[in-house]
Amino acid sequence: MQIQHFSVNDGDGIRTTVFLAGCPLHCIWCCNPENAGCLDAEHRMTVDEVVGIVAKESIFFRNGHGGVTFSGGEATWQQGYLRALTEQLYDRGYSLSIETCGSFDFAGVSDILEKMDLIFFDLKHMDPRFHRLFTGADNAAILDNLKKVSGLGVRLVVRIPVIVGVNAYEENILKTCEFIAANAPAASLELLPYHRFGADKYVKLGLPGPDERYEELRVELAPGIAAERMDIPSDEMLEHFYDIAAAHGIGRISFK
Amino acid sequence: MLTERIEKIRQSYVNNKPSISTDRARIWTESHKRTEGQPVCIRRAKAFYDTCAELPVHIFEGELIVGAIGEFRRCGILTPEFSWKWVDKEMDTFSDRAQDPYVITPEQREFVRREIFPYWKDKSLEEAFLARLPEETAKIGVDTGILDNDSKWRQSVGEITPDYQDVLFPLGFGGIIKKCESKKALLSPANAADQEKIEFYDSVIITSRGIILYANRYANAAEELAKAETDETRRSELLAIAENCRRVPENPPETFYEAIQFVWFTQIGGILTENPLSLNPGRFDQYMDPFYERDLALGIISEAKAEELIDALWLKYSEWVWTISANTADYFAGYNQFQNLTVGGKTREGLDGTNPVTFMALKATEEVKTHQPGLSVRIHQDCPEEFLAAVTELVSRGTGFPAIHSDSAGYQMLLNAGYEPDDARDWNNCGCVVPHYRKTGEWTAAVNMNFGSAIEYALNEGKSLMTGKEMGLKEKPASAFASYEEVEEAFFKQFKNLCYHSIVLTTTAQRVHVDMVPRPFLSSCMEACLEDGVDLSRGGAKYNVGPVITGIGLGVCANSLAAVKKLVFDDKVCTMGELAAALKANWEGYEELRAKAQAAPKYGNDIDYVDRIAIKIANTFYHEIHGYKDIFGSPFSTAFMGISNYIPMGRVLGATPCGRKNGEPSTEGVSPYVGTDTSTPLAAMRSAAKLNQEIHSGGTLLNLRLNHDLVATKRGQANLGSLIQSYFALGAFHVQFNTLSSKVLRAAQERPDDYRDLLVRVAGYSTQFVNLSKSLQDAIIARTEHAEF
Repeated sequence: MQIQHFSVNDGDGIRTTVFLAGCPLHCIWCCNPENAGCLDAEHRMTVDEVVGIVAKESIFFRNGHGGVTFSGGEATWQQGYLRALTEQLYDRGYSLSIETCGSFDFAGVSDILEKMDLIFFDLKHMDPRFHRLFTGADNAAILDNLKKVSGLGVRLVVRIPVIVGVNAYEENILKTCEFIAANAPAASLELLPYHRFGADKYVKLGLPGPDERYEELRVELAPGIAAERMDIPSDEMLEHFYDIAAAHGIGRISFK
Repeated sequence: MLTERIEKIRQSYVNNKPSISTDRARIWTESHKRTEGQPVCIRRAKAFYDTCAELPVHIFEGELIVGAIGEFRRCGILTPEFSWKWVDKEMDTFSDRAQDPYVITPEQREFVRREIFPYWKDKSLEEAFLARLPEETAKIGVDTGILDNDSKWRQSVGEITPDYQDVLFPLGFGGIIKKCESKKALLSPANAADQEKIEFYDSVIITSRGIILYANRYANAAEELAKAETDETRRSELLAIAENCRRVPENPPETFYEAIQFVWFTQIGGILTENPLSLNPGRFDQYMDPFYERDLALGIISEAKAEELIDALWLKYSEWVWTISANTADYFAGYNQFQNLTVGGKTREGLDGTNPVTFMALKATEEVKTHQPGLSVRIHQDCPEEFLAAVTELVSRGTGFPAIHSDSAGYQMLLNAGYEPDDARDWNNCGCVVPHYRKTGEWTAAVNMNFGSAIEYALNEGKSLMTGKEMGLKEKPASAFASYEEVEEAFFKQFKNLCYHSIVLTTTAQRVHVDMVPRPFLSSCMEACLEDGVDLSRGGAKYNVGPVITGIGLGVCANSLAAVKKLVFDDKVCTMGELAAALKANWEGYEELRAKAQAAPKYGNDIDYVDRIAIKIANTFYHEIHGYKDIFGSPFSTAFMGISNYIPMGRVLGATPCGRKNGEPSTEGVSPYVGTDTSTPLAAMRSAAKLNQEIHSGGTLLNLRLNHDLVATKRGQANLGSLIQSYFALGAFHVQFNTLSSKVLRAAQERPDDYRDLLVRVAGYSTQFVNLSKSLQDAIIARTEHAEF
């Protein structure tokens, strides 16, 4: 469990982000590898402790629709904990948002998601084979969940981590947009360009870094997709992808 | 968009080096030679009149608002009646000094040494002050960096907000003369008490005639220029200028243009009379808007024309250079005259006061990029969203303007200082961050007190670490302290001694001012002075608020005491003796201990362990200082202001238990120590807001740096607005932001010529970055850059 105050890029206003540990996916580019597995005891906090910390920050939420964002790891991974936390914070009237990779049992978490003011839902790849390759899991359940979450009527933002050498090519973006338009028509789109800020954490944790992992996997990729290493997309590329989305009637959104 | 005219004037402001004019000093001195033996207020009034009558007229190219204090576009003057000694001592290095250099020619230097200074020998305010000051106070209070009030005896006081609303605009100086004459008619020279009042009214009549004469000389000159002018447009402009100068400031202004020319003439009068610090334009939007709305309705002004006039005024404010000693310049760096102009906030009636002029003032500061006026805004919780948006947009431009203040905290500070509620609601800013009001006489920056010295003397047997001199009260060796409580007690003993000497410095200076420098011109801008016939320097204002003692180094002291508590008494990682030895050695050879000291809890992170100590110091400061009364019987006030004083005060301070080394900067206002507010700006704000800011009616200051990216978008600016409102909801008074990236600042340091107009917030004010000394530039770059927004 980690808490970061003064977050302004994951929802409206000034927010406190609660990072919950544990994740069903193992994306090779993950920028929070420390939150992927189970946490050591020293970082454990009770729901009351978290609520206390959040309540203290609430004066900064009052202006500008700020609130709490759940992130991870995968925020829904610790279902019971998230539910208890959500219920308490919901009753206090705070604006709540969640970032999710979409890999969860919908029936088990739909009551939690309903309490959100905003859901950020990641779509990493439309090709099941590549999805498995880079995240270790199939995308069928994720795509199905997007459809169901869309049905909740909660404000929804689909996020694509845009990574050259992984998913930043026209065919994939086209398919993603087609899927969103058909299954989550009210969602808007936010493209998150790849960054390398997490690289040092791998060194610290003694794990092979994203670049090394990619080196191993890139042989599996078609020549048109593979790159020297995972890279940051250009502004022009991002604009082009947004144009594709617009052509599908999908609005863009940014929290910068 | 600036007009071509304004851009030209702006370029000359940016590129001209400030130069000294000796004309004012020459005329002032000659006049005094003719008035020996007369009452001092009359002598000063006559010197003012003679200056208005004889000072050469200068109308510069393209000007719309006229009136100059000397022959240079960026010009400073000398006031030898306050002090000539520092000028004599320092002027040979004026052009080379690190902070705020001036141009002065060898001929000028020779002239003032021959013709001006000899007359003032043994007659200046400085000499009288130093002669009266008790020796034990002089030892720590004169050019030491421990207690500093040299701006109160090497300079005039200033710190006045002329009353445009109730005196100047309704009466004009012609009306003021009439008022004085009718008041005088009721007095009898046979009555001893009346004699002094008659002299006062006479002095005001003389200065009023002086400023009217000055304006008419500009009218004459403009007419002459118009005759010779071949360009038709410029000729009609010059004739309009002449017409303005004939009407104001003698008569109440009728148009926006006249009103703005009136404001500048009043400023000129203030400058010529005493070269003041903080001659504040006050609530500009409140007194200018009625003229704007009227002219707009009559169709005689456009928004663009009004904006151009405001731009022109901003440049006028900036072209005057405050001539100050190198020592004062260290404390008030950046050619800053502290002409504080306040916009926004509630009206006297309690309604929101924002109006079109409010927004034009913000726009002028954004576009002209001058370091003056010091633009302040008042924000209340229900202020219009557009206003807060305009304010945060200006913040995002990185000029450091505006200084952002809580409407309600300012109100509360004035209530606590004894103001009536309507007057308290009508507050404006004085200087950097002092809540003030136009009917007030107050020394808002009386003494800077180096809190860190109290730590030093407590832990080093009353001696300075760097010089070994005995500067504080005697104390036992640090190794003999058996508990944290004993250390704290020793600190407060030294602290209270510093408070005591600060009071002595102030009351001594106050008495000298009463005797030697009455202020007829500025008294004429004050309603109660005119009503009661009492000069401002003698307590003539409606409110005489106690002088403000400014505490420097709150953060350093809180961190230091917390480090002592943690290292020596809680964790027992060293003894008091070892810690004292480490400080004496400037931490050299004690690197491991220093790392532990640096890791101890630091103020500015919302940690009660250390914040509690900060609160205790701040509260003690208030109670101790507030217990003393000034020469008018008003209790002294406290402040945690910034200015640049934390640099020179750090320079004389030895190593401190917080991990700071010899001579490094101290802390400003209620800001955390540089680089130690490592949590979030929210935590820094929360720590600062714990300090019961409303009792420190001299103002409090928090300086934060935000990465420019965070406020580059409208959304980022809106979030900044929320942050400000939240901070004010916690009860805080002021916050200001520098939003330039360190990259830009470093580039400006390397290539100053490319960044001449780059403004940064120093503390309580903004100035051109390239005009700051290297050490001050470094200190600004070092301020924590809050990247996590």
